[in-house]
Amino acid sequence: MSTHTEHQAPQGPEPVDVNDPRLSRFEIVQEGARRDDIEIVHYEEQVVPGSKAERRLTRTVALMFLLTGVAATAFLVIYIWWPWQWEAGRGGDKLYTPLLGLTLGLALLGVGFGILTWGKKLLPKEVSIQDRHDQGGNPEDRKITGETMLYLADELGVKRRPLLGISLLAGLAPVGAVAAAPLIGGLIEQPHKNNQMFTTGFAPAEGGEKIRLIREDGRPIRPADVSVGGQLTVFPGIEGGVSNRHADSPTLLIHLREDDAQKSRAANERKGRGDFMWGNYVAFSKICTHAGCPASLYEQQTNRLLCPCHQSQFLITDNAKPIFGPANRPLPQLPIEVDEEGFFVARSDYTETIGPDFWERP
Amino acid sequence: MTSDNDRRRGLLARLRGRPVARSRGRRRLGAAVRLAAALMLAGGAYTVFAPGVQAQDNPPLTAAGNEGKALFDVSCVTCHGRNAQGVEGRGPSLIGVGSASVEFQVGSGRMPMARQEAQAMRKPPQFTDEQVRQLGQYIQELGGGPQVPSGNLRDGANMATGGELFRINCSQCHAFGGGGGALSSGKYAPSLKPASDRQIYAAMLSGPQNMPVFGDNQITPQEKADIIAYIQETLKSDQDQGGFNLGRYGPSTEGLAIFLVGIVALVFASLWIAGKS
Amino acid sequence: MKRRKFDAAALPAKTAGAVDDRFQVATPLRKLLNKVFPDHWSFLLGEIALFSFVVLLLTGVFLTFFYEPAMTEVTYDGSYAPLRGTPMSAAYASSLDISFDVRGGLIMRQMHHWAALLFMAAIVVHMLRVFFTGAFRKPRETNWIIGSLLFWVGFLAGFTGYSLPDDGLSGTGLRIASGIILSIPVVGSWVSSSIFGGEFPGMIIISRFFIAHVLLIPGLLVALISVHLGLVFKQKHTQWPGPGRTNENVVGERMFPRYALKQGGFFMVVFGVIALMGGLFQINPIWYFGPYEAWVVSAASQPDWYVMFLDGSTRLMPGWEISIPIGDGYVIPPLFWPTVVLPGILVGLSTMYPFLEARRLKDYKHHNLLQRPRDVPARTAVGAMAVAFYVVLTLSGGNDVIADKFHISLNAMTWAGRVGLLVIPPLAYYVTYRICLGLQQHDREVLAHGVETGIIKRLPDGRFVEVHQPLTSADGHDGHAPALDYVGWVVPKKMNRLGALGPAIRGFFYPIEKPAEAPVSPGHPPVEPRAEREEVGSGESRR
Repeated sequence: MSTHTEHQAPQGPEPVDVNDPRLSRFEIVQEGARRDDIEIVHYEEQVVPGSKAERRLTRTVALMFLLTGVAATAFLVIYIWWPWQWEAGRGGDKLYTPLLGLTLGLALLGVGFGILTWGKKLLPKEVSIQDRHDQGGNPEDRKITGETMLYLADELGVKRRPLLGISLLAGLAPVGAVAAAPLIGGLIEQPHKNNQMFTTGFAPAEGGEKIRLIREDGRPIRPADVSVGGQLTVFPGIEGGVSNRHADSPTLLIHLREDDAQKSRAANERKGRGDFMWGNYVAFSKICTHAGCPASLYEQQTNRLLCPCHQSQFLITDNAKPIFGPANRPLPQLPIEVDEEGFFVARSDYTETIGPDFWERP
Repeated sequence: MTSDNDRRRGLLARLRGRPVARSRGRRRLGAAVRLAAALMLAGGAYTVFAPGVQAQDNPPLTAAGNEGKALFDVSCVTCHGRNAQGVEGRGPSLIGVGSASVEFQVGSGRMPMARQEAQAMRKPPQFTDEQVRQLGQYIQELGGGPQVPSGNLRDGANMATGGELFRINCSQCHAFGGGGGALSSGKYAPSLKPASDRQIYAAMLSGPQNMPVFGDNQITPQEKADIIAYIQETLKSDQDQGGFNLGRYGPSTEGLAIFLVGIVALVFASLWIAGKS
Repeated sequence: MKRRKFDAAALPAKTAGAVDDRFQVATPLRKLLNKVFPDHWSFLLGEIALFSFVVLLLTGVFLTFFYEPAMTEVTYDGSYAPLRGTPMSAAYASSLDISFDVRGGLIMRQMHHWAALLFMAAIVVHMLRVFFTGAFRKPRETNWIIGSLLFWVGFLAGFTGYSLPDDGLSGTGLRIASGIILSIPVVGSWVSSSIFGGEFPGMIIISRFFIAHVLLIPGLLVALISVHLGLVFKQKHTQWPGPGRTNENVVGERMFPRYALKQGGFFMVVFGVIALMGGLFQINPIWYFGPYEAWVVSAASQPDWYVMFLDGSTRLMPGWEISIPIGDGYVIPPLFWPTVVLPGILVGLSTMYPFLEARRLKDYKHHNLLQRPRDVPARTAVGAMAVAFYVVLTLSGGNDVIADKFHISLNAMTWAGRVGLLVIPPLAYYVTYRICLGLQQHDREVLAHGVETGIIKRLPDGRFVEVHQPLTSADGHDGHAPALDYVGWVVPKKMNRLGALGPAIRGFFYPIEKPAEAPVSPGHPPVEPRAEREEVGSGESRR
């Protein structure tokens, strides 16, 4: 490491003997700095030792440290004795976190500003200049290192014995693949297992039995359960139907007004879905075809359905066609009817893919 | 099959928009206190089978109804027409909307509207509570419709159920904290903060403006009580454990706060630290 | 036997000697102690990010003791009554427990979240500083790339953390993320089902995100931050031009003791600000959002601010799908462009910028002196353009909140964003460029003619001229002061910067010496100039 003394600043004086007993400590420090190419050009006490200003600053800093102590103690006291458990209608617990934050924050700010004032106001001001040496290394060193590396390559003799290199690469490639294989192989999952991307919980059961529409508490739904101009979130009446296991199944059942229902029916017929509605009831997937949020902001007068995530707007009376925003595909419609007991059932599964688009969506 | 469907559809068409379905739900209440209201609704069902007849016949009104009519003829008739029949292009017919709707629209100051706009805004109400009651009585006697029951609307409420129902039915528009949200083209779901128990109840019953209707058949009075309790006691009683809630607008205000408070404070700190002493 | 005398005073020296005997640390330690750092407030912005990262590690470790990364369904039975009896995932239940049933857990959670927001905000602000001052130029391109990567890795850390509580809001974000992955052409559905372990949401995503959030991503962050700091240390910090400052030196303070004290104090201040925010401002009140259920959503569902620009780009994108009529037909959904392609372009542009600029300017020299933004109008304007682009997207990410709170039509907000995204950045470029040129010109004018004194002189022929105070006293050939050369640093433009009047404002926030003769009535300002103004300063520069 002594080589660095050679890079000394040219204007620096002769090297100093640091063992010289006459040297003050600061002079040794200065010499050390010089060895690191630093010149301390300006070094000035900010406060006169023993002056009034110094005492005042010392008091200020001490006060800040003491404030920290007080705040930290307060933190501990609050932490231990303040009522902290949530209890409706009581004010005390509500202040627990704010008080902790306040005391902790004050404690930290106290020590922070104390240290800062100490460093900024009490320590001597200095201006030092350090040389940079960033224009590449010593050209000789560059040459030596470069030659050494080339020499290493020569020693290995890959050039003369190409088979070694090729066979090593050929051998290593599978090893790399071995490292990656368990990770990829373990993670990879066939997306089209059980045709899961194209089916929902409303797919008729094994025996062709139609699936009932149920509410979030499991009750099946009669037509009289949805008010005119009302909407209801419905789920397939199967096990786990009201859970994230069937995240693509939630459906919005809407009871339209007579004239809106006529428009909707006409739109349905244009698309060959004459039997998808039942009476004035219509059911659309709640899962947005854009990014999969529940598109459920139903405006009962304009019959628009808004998705709160990206503001796609769908016109319910026109097959839930997207009329604004980033969505490109209408919401799929669930064909519904009422069974003998008077409950809504799905006539079949959705005829279109639910949720966000993907490459192989037909 | 088709004829059966048609018959059902016909019946439904007649039921549609009329209070029968709701009054059925209400009858299930069985609460003695609400008996009077239920009876009145059952009576109101008559209007379903003879729509319009009553409205034109000017049936005898109660004293409160007459007072309400007097108010109506001064303040509402311009847009809603004589006998609340509605005026094309200005205001809808109020036959069958019930006193719940009056209570919500007039009681929250939305009606009378200052001007035609995308959505009526909440304003300081122009009528006293008594006048609102009279107007409601008039509209009720005119065409029947849903009514907000009297008494405590949060009796025996279960907050957890209320929260679940709120999140599934209300939060998509009114936001998780009840602060409201935007709808398409200038419409919006208002903040729930100024709403009273009765106004929330009335809004669910009547589906004002673009809000879907949540009749008693769909969300029972008990469930409505749960929702109201959740809104009033959890969302509105300022039970934020973590300090100032930043208006509960979600991450947008949090992002604003980190720049306006965090970054600004620390930039000032660094200005001081690096400043000349 | 004689008891050996214990000399306490000699202990440090002895220990130090013993340590150096074994580890030979004296020389490297001296070099470390003797390291000069330039002092400027803008050099402390990166430290904010570094210190909030330390706070993130501290609070994050606390949270792992109580958090359960599992999606198994449990029924909540904690002390928060409005959710009691609600079925939810174990992850959400444990997050609620941290908030309500762990003493002091909520403030830790909130500090963690605020620290994360601060981390990202400080990275961006620091990045802007580095960009606009040209600190990324050779030899610091590598560090610029690492810094850009830190933003994107921090972005991932933030998103995975945002998803862990498994509340309604984070589940919605996860749902959108799955939609984004699905939108990738050809492999989308395979990647999505591999990450989620089947169809969304599956049962495994939370535990996978957990290990990514607490081990893989922080590990990467620590590695990147270490290299970042190591390079700053090795290459030495850049500095502003100024007296005595050259491309070959660093003018400032040695690391110890003053600089290090300031750093330590600043760490405490950052920590303290985070603690204050964590206690006083509620963040992410997960108990209002409820457990994630695929059919539940709240209005104003937004990601954290640093993801909001992607949400904004998604909102602004028109619903253009590309269908490829081969076989059964294939589609590229509109979601693909703003959420996969756009960030890809941004990563590429942001990491490659130093090389693009060097290539354009054919500038391959070492640069250790910073540039004032006005002196490189093209770069500054490009930066302003990028900032405008980002701000339009970020605002669009919250356009529903803006629409609601300021009573603007939501659809109008979307259109404003679409038009604004195309119009505002070029406008920002042009305006910034002109402002830079104007500032440059003003600098040159002051150097040539001196500082405006505010004194109007009437010439014998009746003309009025303003008296300028030249910056140099040396006489030029025609009696005028010669024009000074611009050296890339602040040109004094007010008399009090020249020592004529003394600084008007002494205090940090408010003047300690209140300006005398403040006009009592705004209608009648004092018309008489103050006496001392007549004495124009000596022209001595304080700099």
